[in-house]
Amino acid sequence: MSKKRVVIIGGGAGGAILANNLPFDEFDVTVVDRSPYHYYWPWLLYVAFKGSRKPMKREIRELLKPGVKFIQSGAHSVDLGNRKVILENGKVLEYDHLVIATGSRPAYDMIEGHRKIVEKYGDYHSSEENARRVWSTINSLKQGTFAIAVGGDPYRCPPSPLEGVFLAEEFFRSRGLRDKVRVVFAVPYPRPYPAEPMNEVVEPILEERGVEYITFFTLDKIDEERKVAISMEGEELKYDALVVIPPHVGTDIKISPEDVLTQDRFIQADKFTNNIKGYDDAFVIGDASAVPVAKTGVTAHLQATVVARRLQGEDARNNGRTNCPFDLGYGLGTFVISDYNNPVVKLPPSRFSHMAKLVFAAAYWDMIKYPELWNPIFDAYFEATEPAKLRRIYV
Amino acid sequence: MTENKIRVDARGMACPGPITELVKAYRNAKNGDIIEVLATDPGFKPDVEAWIKRTGNQLVEFKEEGGTYIAVIKVTAKK
Ligand SMILES: Cc1cc2nc3c(=O)[nH]c(=O)nc-3n(C[C@H](O)[C@H](O)[C@H](O)COP(=O)(O)OP(=O)(O)OC[C@H]3O[C@@H](n4cnc5c(N)ncnc54)[C@H](O)[C@@H]3O)c2cc1C
Repeated sequence: MSKKRVVIIGGGAGGAILANNLPFDEFDVTVVDRSPYHYYWPWLLYVAFKGSRKPMKREIRELLKPGVKFIQSGAHSVDLGNRKVILENGKVLEYDHLVIATGSRPAYDMIEGHRKIVEKYGDYHSSEENARRVWSTINSLKQGTFAIAVGGDPYRCPPSPLEGVFLAEEFFRSRGLRDKVRVVFAVPYPRPYPAEPMNEVVEPILEERGVEYITFFTLDKIDEERKVAISMEGEELKYDALVVIPPHVGTDIKISPEDVLTQDRFIQADKFTNNIKGYDDAFVIGDASAVPVAKTGVTAHLQATVVARRLQGEDARNNGRTNCPFDLGYGLGTFVISDYNNPVVKLPPSRFSHMAKLVFAAAYWDMIKYPELWNPIFDAYFEATEPAKLRRIYV
Repeated sequence: MTENKIRVDARGMACPGPITELVKAYRNAKNGDIIEVLATDPGFKPDVEAWIKRTGNQLVEFKEEGGTYIAVIKVTAKK
């Protein structure tokens, strides 16, 4: 029997984990990525707010198992009907199974004035360079208002805007500037964290630490001359430095048929199987997909595992599990845990949760490379922390 | 000016929650557009009501059908 050809576009969290989960005697696996590097994106938070210089990228080639082929090129277009991928280097790849794992990217043209303030103050959802800019922004601000605003949905990692807020507050306090620098957080939602149960955990902490927040603030434009952010209903937020969480969009690949894409270029798929709408030989995993789950590495990881099992003939299905670590500053943390059938658990802050996040970060590269070692550990973890079980403890 | 109907399916979304999908549709909408959101999250109803009250947009209809909440909103408050 000839091996099945699997083409994976994107060697980030989802794509790399999937590639390393497929047995080589059964599959001929090719990973295509425009970038030679795989980035551990969550680390941008610590570059921005702790000035971390720890390397946050690795060569994709080095993360993939020796049997996996790697082509460094962008994918230009995908023809789902004819099972073809055309690369930016001109090469054409034919496949038996396709997996798109191209993640998401910030869009800076949706909010007037956005580009200008990113160049000036930085952000922590795009690049190391922009995250370093945030670090210099907070280091040079000695008084006034430091504002973080959610620019629009979706963005990677739902807790990340507030993580930045908590770490910024801790930063200004540690520099003895808390009485001179106001920390303000603006969101388009009815409350600081969109999911109510987790908000019940974090809102009291914001209050306790004197962080001001503005709700129902849908950012429309930024006037850097006057230093105000303006909402769609005309409300104004005055700042001295402003960091905006950019709204993200989906893939830049030209896909035919086009109707598998949403307006903001995410790829529509079955939320249980990750099959691209209408195609049983093509999948989309991770941030690139338009399924109703948070855009997180954990989701990409779980979906990669499901697709790997489906490709091997099992009827594996996603349960929509989320497990986002949430840094609350001062060495405290929590996790946002939910699934398709259970709302978010009200998990109280603890040092343990924060440690778990750091341990995870330390082991990240090993987890990508050796799924055979880590899969049973993850299975046990996810089973022990099922939201239906936790809800009985943390009501 | 033509009015659009935007349909958003947020069923099964617990985190970050269906309200984020409404906000996203709102960003891309213009006055006169209709946004219809489908959700299963139990917190959705009070959130939509609070959102309508604060932003000044119009709730045309809110109904529940077989475990799915459906909110029909008319965008009217954009400056
Ligand atoms: C500040 C921050 C904090 C976060 N914290 C957490 C956290 O604590 N926990 C968590 O689970 N998640 C967290 N995340 C989210 C997590 O990083 C992403 O959800 C995860 O990386 C998604 O994986 P992915 O494989 O879908 O996409 P990515 O990892 O983004 O990989 C996509 C890959 O596709 C490639 N690509 C794109 N387009 C093309 C093309 N046309 N052709 C070829 N290649 C292409 C890119 O170069 C990239 O390598 C955080 C993110 C940020 C920004």
